[in-house]
Order: sequence, then structure tokens, then C-alpha cells
Amino acid sequence: MVCALCKISAPTEQIGVSVATNAVTDSTLGEVSVELRDVRKTFGTNEVLHGINLTVSKGEHVVLFGPSGSGKSTILRSINLLEVPSSGSVKFNGVEYGPGDPTEESVIRGRPLELRRSIGMVFQQFNLFPHLTAIHNIALPLRSVKKMSRRDAEEKAAQSLRDVGLLQWSGSFPAQMSGGQQQRVAIARALSLDPEVMLFDEPTSALDPELVGEVLSVMRRLATMGMTMVVVTHELGFAREVGDHNVFMEEGRIVETGGRGFFESCSHPRTQAFMGSVL
Amino acid sequence: MTPFSARSVNYDWGLVWDNRDMFWWGLVTALQVSAVALVLSMVFGMLLALGRMGRRPGSILAAAYINIFRGIPALVSVIWVYFGWSLLVGYNFSTFQAGVIALTLLYSAFFAEIFRSALTALSLGQNEAGLALGMSSGRVFFSVKLPQATKIAIPNIGNMFIGMVKDTSVFTVIGLVEIVRVTQNLNATYFQPFVLFTTAAIIYVVLAFVLDFMFRTLEKTLSTPTNGFFATLLTSRRSTRINKLIEVHGDS
Repeated sequence: MVCALCKISAPTEQIGVSVATNAVTDSTLGEVSVELRDVRKTFGTNEVLHGINLTVSKGEHVVLFGPSGSGKSTILRSINLLEVPSSGSVKFNGVEYGPGDPTEESVIRGRPLELRRSIGMVFQQFNLFPHLTAIHNIALPLRSVKKMSRRDAEEKAAQSLRDVGLLQWSGSFPAQMSGGQQQRVAIARALSLDPEVMLFDEPTSALDPELVGEVLSVMRRLATMGMTMVVVTHELGFAREVGDHNVFMEEGRIVETGGRGFFESCSHPRTQAFMGSVL
Repeated sequence: MTPFSARSVNYDWGLVWDNRDMFWWGLVTALQVSAVALVLSMVFGMLLALGRMGRRPGSILAAAYINIFRGIPALVSVIWVYFGWSLLVGYNFSTFQAGVIALTLLYSAFFAEIFRSALTALSLGQNEAGLALGMSSGRVFFSVKLPQATKIAIPNIGNMFIGMVKDTSVFTVIGLVEIVRVTQNLNATYFQPFVLFTTAAIIYVVLAFVLDFMFRTLEKTLSTPTNGFFATLLTSRRSTRINKLIEVHGDS
């Protein structure tokens, strides 16, 4: 455990290498990055999102929390259109994506591929490619999306792995690594593409308790660097620390939102009950 | 004493060695037909699998093909192609072509099911991870799903290939000079059915062992983490590159 922490804490100053290009400066701070407008999602006859409106500003750290089945992950997955909304829009950097409102006149809508190339995502189950080594998990999308040569892609992948303290594991396959290490590779993989926004879908829920720390530490550093983040998590301690836009959800609706200090000042009885049972 | 009693038969095993060239070429022909058909069946099988997993009406057509063609015996298939298709299209297929087509028709149906199950076995997260990284769905298929599905399918592909080689034995009816045809020809000359067909059987069994070994080696070679002599050999350049990168970036 101590070693793992050493590894992460060592290159603290270096994680800036991979996010520097999209780090939010003072002049862009507060500009809208992602905007969800009346997003609804229906599975069969069951509506799981009942018209969600959410704005994510540049440099903001949005934390979504709430009981299981409340639609947190579905919102997150709607942002990069892994889950296409049944109606409603996702607006990113001024471009509209998704089906929109059927009554509105149609505007030119962006393709999901372009949206996803600017938004990184980290999954609960890591979803590393098991047939590729750590370094090639990162190099493959660099070659495919950024059209890099193999040499350049491997070079950049090695830097990304160093940033999360896993350079020595470059030649290892996911099956040879711990859950925490796999999740750090997954974070490095998403960051290497220089995303403007990072989505985290319960990134520590599948980890042994003692491996949670190393992943949170990487995320904390990313938050400090000014990365725009949307995080679904049950780690309320972490949420309290980094979240400057906290969203409590239940049954497909946003119940209450708040800024820093939300965990102490929340007023809705349902939010307070949830906090009481978790914290 | 009847002429065919066991004692009166002279088992001439030397015959096999004397005609080894003919057996050898019979074996080579059987392997050639099967190998060409294997490649074609895998390509068509993959297309059928994707069709079946896709939208209508493609999925219905693919399912119909699979259910029809995996029920047809190789003997019927080859006669149908060699005599039937020749009339239909007005082109005389060679015995080799007819054999390849007959096997491909049948085995692409089997491969479709093998690939479909292999693709289904992959977690949805693999596809999502690729898409979330901004990769096109084509690239996700070729770089993420296909390599993993192929690895899962290899033991089944090996089994199918052994079956294909054995199925070439019925192509003797159209005159393809494979192992059984060679055996029959020699038997017509020497009348040594026990000796000659025992030899044919042994050839098939040994071949099955060899093919099984080859596919197992392939499976081991493609396994991750890297395992075995060939895998180490094939990935040695990659390992060198990675080690160099670790060295370079570790110092800075």
C-alpha cells in the first residue's frame, strides 16, 4: 500500500504534461462546456430519465450521487452518447448532439464520433482491452483517433503511463495487473487523447477497499489541474473534497443541487436521509 | 477352404511404402482443398455471423442460410455443385473447385455460429470503451473485437478443420484424387482392402493429431499473457521496444 502511494505521489508535477493542452485558464473558467437540455431516456415503456437539465462549466467538477437505479450512470453515458437519449439535446462547445426536441425546428447536429473524441470516459469495470499490453491499450486509440505513427503513439503512451506511475508496467497485460493499476491505465488511456471533459462512472466501485486510494489520488490530481470532470461516485468523502457542483438524484430526477459545502447544507429531506445513511 | 478365408490372404504391407507417392499426393490434395475452403468459410462465416447479429432482413437471411446449409451432408453438397451447378451456370467446375465450393457452403454455416458465439462472449464494455475513446465502430471491430473473438474461436476452428479434412473423403465420388480415391485405385489394382484402408485410416488419424497440435500451439501463442516459444519469438521486437521506452522515460 505504501509503495503504491509512493508511485503515485512521485510524479505529481508530471501529470500536467498530458492535460496541459486542455487545462482551463482563468479566461475560459465559467464558460459552459456541456449542457443537457430536457434529456429523457426510455427503455421499452419505462422512462428512466424524466427530462434532465444540467450545465457543466469549464473547469467545474460535477459529482452525481444518489441511490442505485436513480439514473446517474445513464446521464453520464448520455453526455458522450453511449446512451442515446430518447429525446433532448446534449450541447457541447456550442454544437448540438442527440435527437433534440421533436417540436423544435432542426439544427445541424454533430456526429457522436466527434463528441467522443473530446470527452474521455472511465468505466467501473475499467474495460481495458485484455489482448493488448498496458502501453498498447493507450497506443491503439492514439493511432486510430489521432492518426499517430506507431513510434509516436508508443512514445506518448509511455509518457501517459509514467504520469500515473505505471511506466514499469508498460509491457504487462491487464490480467497481470491489480484493479487499481488497471483503472489507472484506463485513466491514462482516456487522458492521452487530451479530452476537454472527463467522465468517471463509479471508477472505484469495483476495487478492493485498499486500492481505492491510488485511483482517487490520480483523480484528485486531475481535479487540481483544472480538468472539467463529471463523476458518478459513492465515495462521498472524495465528492465533498473536489465537488463544486453536487447533484443528488433519485428515480430519474434531479432532487437537489448545490455547490461547495453542499454535504453540510443540503436541505431536501430525501438528500439528508441519503447522506445520513451513507456518511 | 474358401478363397477369402483369413489364412489364404497375403497381407502385403510393402505395397504402402511402394505407393507412398500416391498417398502423399492424395494427402496434399485433401489438405489443399480443406485449407482453401477453411479460409473462405471463415470469411463468409464471419459475414454471416455479423448479418445474423445485425438488423432485419439481413439477420433473417443469415439465419435461414445457416439452418439450411449446416443440415446438408458433404456428399450431397459436392454432387449438387459438381453436377447441378455446372448445368445451372454452364461452366464445368474442376473437381478441386467443386470440392472447395461444397465445403465452403457447408462450413461457413458452422463458422457463422462459432464466430457469433465468440463475439457474444465479449463483454459489451469492450465495444463501449472503444467507442468512448472516439474510435469508429469499424476500427473497434477490427482492432478490439475481432482479435479477441478469434482467440476464443480457435479451438472450435481447429475442430472444424479436422472435420473438413475428413469430409474431403466423400469427394472421391466426383473423382477428386484425395486419400480415399488413391486407396480405391490401389485396391482395384492389388486387391488389398485391409492393408490399404488401414493405411488410409491411419493417415487421417495422424493428420488429426498433427492438426490438433498445431491449433493448440496457435492458441497458446495467441494467449495473453504471452506464453510459449513462438509467442516469445513473435513478440521479442515488441518487448525490446517497450523495454527501451521504459528505460528512456524512467530516467527523466
